[in-house]
Amino acid sequence: MAKSYLRFWGVRGSYPAPFETHLGIGGNTPCVEINVDDHLLICDAGTGIIPLGNKLVADGKQDRLLILLSHFHWDHISGLPFFTPAFIPKYNINFFGPGDSKEIIKKYIDGQMKAPYFPVGTEEWMANITYIDPKERKIKHGPMEITYYSAHHPGITYGYSIKIKNKTIIYIPDNECLFLDKSIKENTKGFSEEEITMFTKMNEEEYETAVKTILNTDILIHDAQYTPEDYKKKKGWGHSCYIDVINMAIDANVKNLYLFSHDPNNNDKVIKNIQKECQKIIENKNSSLKCFIAKESLEISLD
Amino acid sequence: MSEYKRTVVLIDDNPTSHKFFLRSMEDLSIDLKTYGNTDDAMAYLKDNKPSLLFLNIIMPDKNGLTFLEELRKLPLHNDTHVIMITSKDYSQDRTIASELGALDFIVKPMSMRTITSIMLDYIK
Repeated sequence: MAKSYLRFWGVRGSYPAPFETHLGIGGNTPCVEINVDDHLLICDAGTGIIPLGNKLVADGKQDRLLILLSHFHWDHISGLPFFTPAFIPKYNINFFGPGDSKEIIKKYIDGQMKAPYFPVGTEEWMANITYIDPKERKIKHGPMEITYYSAHHPGITYGYSIKIKNKTIIYIPDNECLFLDKSIKENTKGFSEEEITMFTKMNEEEYETAVKTILNTDILIHDAQYTPEDYKKKKGWGHSCYIDVINMAIDANVKNLYLFSHDPNNNDKVIKNIQKECQKIIENKNSSLKCFIAKESLEISLD
Repeated sequence: MSEYKRTVVLIDDNPTSHKFFLRSMEDLSIDLKTYGNTDDAMAYLKDNKPSLLFLNIIMPDKNGLTFLEELRKLPLHNDTHVIMITSKDYSQDRTIASELGALDFIVKPMSMRTITSIMLDYIK
């Protein structure tokens, strides 16, 4: 049986960053391959899916795949027009994403390839393209069991939980942590003591829910786009400050955290510094969490 | 004769939010039905049309906006009064909610007075 692994093909948030100073981490937008017992799952179809598609065609071994889309913002679907397997008849490509019908998922995927935005429409795709009913609560893909939940990001955005071989992987590329917490700190002026007490309790419950969602996760791939300085300027843009992510991962007893959705403005040096700062928090809290930078070509064994 | 009470539904997974709404409405003659998940709420709403529905967005079992899309497909609820109550305050969410016919978009934290005033505005 073939080896089982997870591989990062695109780790950059917002837009591609093919700059010399960024290439140690990588410039492609989100795409993560999870290959288990010859079953191929792809999380998001940012520009990272383009080299993945080329590799699939070159290898010629796998022709059935499931693509999970966290949402339909450009950086998560912009690799699809250049995804070679879609144009080859032997491939079977199944899509799942947020929406209320298969038709709406198809409409969202087709939209970016319509004139005048792109010269070739999805009607040119020759692969067998199918869509999973978005109302399904649990998806089975070979040995993988997939569930999803809503993220704090503009529009309807999902995070995915993938259970395999007694391991849990959570992929949540775009998510703004502690939104209510910050809102309460800023917007309770003039509130009564009773109101403040109740919102403090609501905030604790919301945090407990967020922690429960990622509790004991083996591999957490989470948005960590901003430094505290960035976050001051970009609160409400739908991405997290790494400090909030690391603290939540520690509280949830996550085993391995992969910092993801790197800001395209941040070069390799800045991102490595973010990891160092995360490491300091881990040491100060005496936590066993392992924190890594998600970078292109990084492969994690799932055997 | 018993007093006629209008029914208001709250769908929010947060237990303290239920208490907050109950407290906000205790002086009003309103029958508040609270649901912590969308399945239970849908089971009730399939056959019942409340005077007003408060709906959270981020919930573990289903996104409130997706729930609202599904609700609008039921003929009984194509014009049900819906108000979003959420900590997820992005302009795109406001647009989606508005396109789905939500009357208002209230951002947490809000005061009890805000809830009471909405009730009085929309349930006359």
